[in-house]
Amino acid sequence: MSMASRDEVRAKMAESLQHPVKKLQDDAILTDWVTDSMILVNMVIDLQEDFGIRLVQEDLKDVKTVGQLLAVFERKMSG
Amino acid sequence: MVNKLTENELWILSFYRTSEISGALFFGRLARSMKPGLIQRDMTKHFSDESQHAWYWTSCVQRFGTLPLKLSHAYQDKYLEAAGMPANLMEVLAITQTFEKRVIAQYALHSRVPDLKPEILETFNKIMEDEKWHIEWVGEALKRMEPEYGKSYIQDTLKRYWKADKKIYGEVLKEHEDRVKDLLRYRQRTA
Repeated sequence: MSMASRDEVRAKMAESLQHPVKKLQDDAILTDWVTDSMILVNMVIDLQEDFGIRLVQEDLKDVKTVGQLLAVFERKMSG
Repeated sequence: MVNKLTENELWILSFYRTSEISGALFFGRLARSMKPGLIQRDMTKHFSDESQHAWYWTSCVQRFGTLPLKLSHAYQDKYLEAAGMPANLMEVLAITQTFEKRVIAQYALHSRVPDLKPEILETFNKIMEDEKWHIEWVGEALKRMEPEYGKSYIQDTLKRYWKADKKIYGEVLKEHEDRVKDLLRYRQRTA
């Protein structure tokens, strides 16, 4: 994934979570940005719809931060 | 004179209401991000039903001259902890199917409890009709996903969530034993 598309995923993430994109730095903990973990489920489904990829539970088992989630998308989109 | 709800009845109906609201919020957000298609359409109806059910419970409680309790947790909050975060739409639908079957079983059990207040029974009957359709549309959507995900993967996912649901249900009953003791007694008698 190019820098532009990584930024694009981050921007979509911010849009879905309704937070300013600049707050979603790579080391930001995803659960710190939601009041309900189902919002994260919504966001992940939302991103897959937008970028046309499919994740499985295994892909997310170690994901805690924004950067780790972007890396998962990076792998899937380049694979 | 209008009957009063017992403290436990008020808690249970408020718990049902909270779970319906959580479902509505979840499906509402999801429906907003779905691409045009059957899932988008059915999920929108599902979201609309869940919010209607939350209103039915609110209105039912109000008929007894009181208002629902503010509860912070819903039944489905426990799914992520027990079964992990669903990572794709198929997994979301599988968890939904599991949850809807649990809801209908719970409502059916509760609706058969002797001496149930007619206002509560009437609410169950209204909601259960919609719940049947929820199971139906989700089942059909999962069937249509078989070519993409594979039938056995979908079946395995459903089994995984069933296992998690049994654990959650047991934990919830244990956690709120005092609140649901009448239901538990009825369940044991009819098992």
